Amino acid sequence: MPVFKPKTTARRLVSTTLVTCLMAMGGVSTLAGAATTTNVNVVGYSVVGPAYKALEAAFEATPAGQNVTFTNTFGSSDTETNNVAKGLAADVVNLSYASNMATLVTAGKVPSTWASQESTVAGVKQSTKAALSQTVYPTPGIVTDSVVVFIVRKGNPLNIQDWPDLIKSGAQVVTPNPATSGSAKWNLLAGYAAQLAKGDTTTQAYSYLKSLISHTVAQPSSGSTAMAAFLGGTGNVLLDYEDDAIAAQNAGDAISIVTPPTTLLIENPIALTTTGVNNPAATAFYQYVFSTAGQTVLANLGYRSVLKSVWTATSSKFAAFKKASDIYTVAQLNNQGWTGIDPTFFSSSITYGTKNRTYPTQGVVTYLEQFAGTA
Amino acid sequence: MPALLDSTNSREVPTTPKQLLRGSGRSPKYVRSGARSLAVTYLSVIVLIPFAALLTNAFSGGLGQFWNDVTSLESLDALRLTLLCSLAAAVVNTVMGLATAWVLVRDRFKGQGVLNTLIDLPFALPTVVAGVTFYALYGPLSPLHITITGTWIGITVAIMFVTLPFTVRSVQPVLETLTFTAESAAATLGASPVRVFRTVTLPVLLPSLLTGTGLAFARALGEYGSVVFISNNLPYRTEVASSYIYSLTSSNENGAAAAVAVALLILALGTLVSFSALGRFLSRGAK
Repeated sequence: MPVFKPKTTARRLVSTTLVTCLMAMGGVSTLAGAATTTNVNVVGYSVVGPAYKALEAAFEATPAGQNVTFTNTFGSSDTETNNVAKGLAADVVNLSYASNMATLVTAGKVPSTWASQESTVAGVKQSTKAALSQTVYPTPGIVTDSVVVFIVRKGNPLNIQDWPDLIKSGAQVVTPNPATSGSAKWNLLAGYAAQLAKGDTTTQAYSYLKSLISHTVAQPSSGSTAMAAFLGGTGNVLLDYEDDAIAAQNAGDAISIVTPPTTLLIENPIALTTTGVNNPAATAFYQYVFSTAGQTVLANLGYRSVLKSVWTATSSKFAAFKKASDIYTVAQLNNQGWTGIDPTFFSSSITYGTKNRTYPTQGVVTYLEQFAGTA
Repeated sequence: MPALLDSTNSREVPTTPKQLLRGSGRSPKYVRSGARSLAVTYLSVIVLIPFAALLTNAFSGGLGQFWNDVTSLESLDALRLTLLCSLAAAVVNTVMGLATAWVLVRDRFKGQGVLNTLIDLPFALPTVVAGVTFYALYGPLSPLHITITGTWIGITVAIMFVTLPFTVRSVQPVLETLTFTAESAAATLGASPVRVFRTVTLPVLLPSLLTGTGLAFARALGEYGSVVFISNNLPYRTEVASSYIYSLTSSNENGAAAAVAVALLILALGTLVSFSALGRFLSRGAK
């Protein structure tokens, strides 16, 4: 009787579903009986994403990494920071710059002692941290070092070598949007720092930054999308992390890397969050990232290792600088570091001081963006 | 037969379309109240509560702060660009959407079914994918040697892609119900095809056409995924409103983000209301 067919089909469907569910439940309980899997939520800035794929795969091959799974979220640093502050699950956070950690400390998501976790949790002694040519001093809580470099079209047709070349006529710069991207902030500060390094005054360095922003043709939301725009043909110079440039070159993209003679040291912080501290798998992973094995994985991907032993073994693969002072640090730019830099350069509201009326005391970059937009 | 006329006792089967439509009104009371509370709860959770939260956020700093947020230089530049591009896209799509719907309803050709399905593709495709595709096609490395990225034209083209289904799909059903009789009568009486279209066809289509335009425009105002890449995202220059809002939330300026979002909403709402009013007015004039 065809009339009853749908009913039987439905009934069969229900019973099949039930059986499947029971089987699945049985399967889960069997698994649980054998070994507990622990999940680690990793949240990071966009560019570091591929490095975590490699780190996690390497970690899962170690005894400590057995039965550990990962949930990854990567995006522009400020965005991910706010997502975590608003409740995105995170055990390990690896962000672009120290202000992001400060935001998470304020939000109660990261312990205020996050910078010392590297010694208390991972057992990294200050004396073992690399402090040679790339790092002027070993900053606690920093997991990878890098420098700001130029990426140009293969063969460097415009012969771009140093910061002044970026403001020559015809230079079209791509750098992410400083309102969303940590990478963008590093890039702009590097251009500014390079002027100070050669003895320019603050006003002269601001004036350089003004030209640099006027030569900018695209400001995608993150470092990764900036790379995509550059590879898609936009502009002729991309400001980027050295590690991202190396990754792009290794991926076979038609680019050349130009390391300017003076640049800025990029220091990317890592932390175990308040949930991560109580997650043994997250803690073990954090330790792994600081281990010789973990740092070697990162070094092979183009990051300048923060461990002295790994840096010594891999330094020949990186561009060398003439002297240590050619690599400016954030601490040299402002004795409060990012706490002082963020409002001065990147505040969205512009405030002028009483003395110098040419450039504001707060929101310099915002002012320069406005200038470029109305010019 | 008074008993038969008494609707409370009668169990007559509804036959005319009107009766069938009104049929729902005759459902048992518990069904009606159940459906109503379900709809209200759903709307509250999905639309009203988030909307209230947005408004609260936007005005959390007072009316003056709201005004400052909306009229900041970067906001005004972004809103101006967004309005211009959305308007251009809506106008083009109204004309092209009508033409497309016309072809789909009035013409018969091979592959028509496929074309009809393709219209909905912009709804199905993630807008970011559309953006990346347009970047490859019309970016600096364009195989067609057309570079429109980083310009308002590029932004408009991306928006046109995303909003095309709105105009086509709102006109198409009306066009399907429109019979040839009136049009052929007008033609028989000596009216030129243009005149037939202008005086007979268009007045009937106008309300749905305007609804489509309004929807397309409102949707265009908030478009992010397909546009953000193509625009090159230069603040004060090629940054669209949605991208500005995104950058505000990234900088944890949620009040300002909500304020600009509310400004967009007001623009969209105003457009929808005035377009539907205009449509009703014009169609009344036609009758």
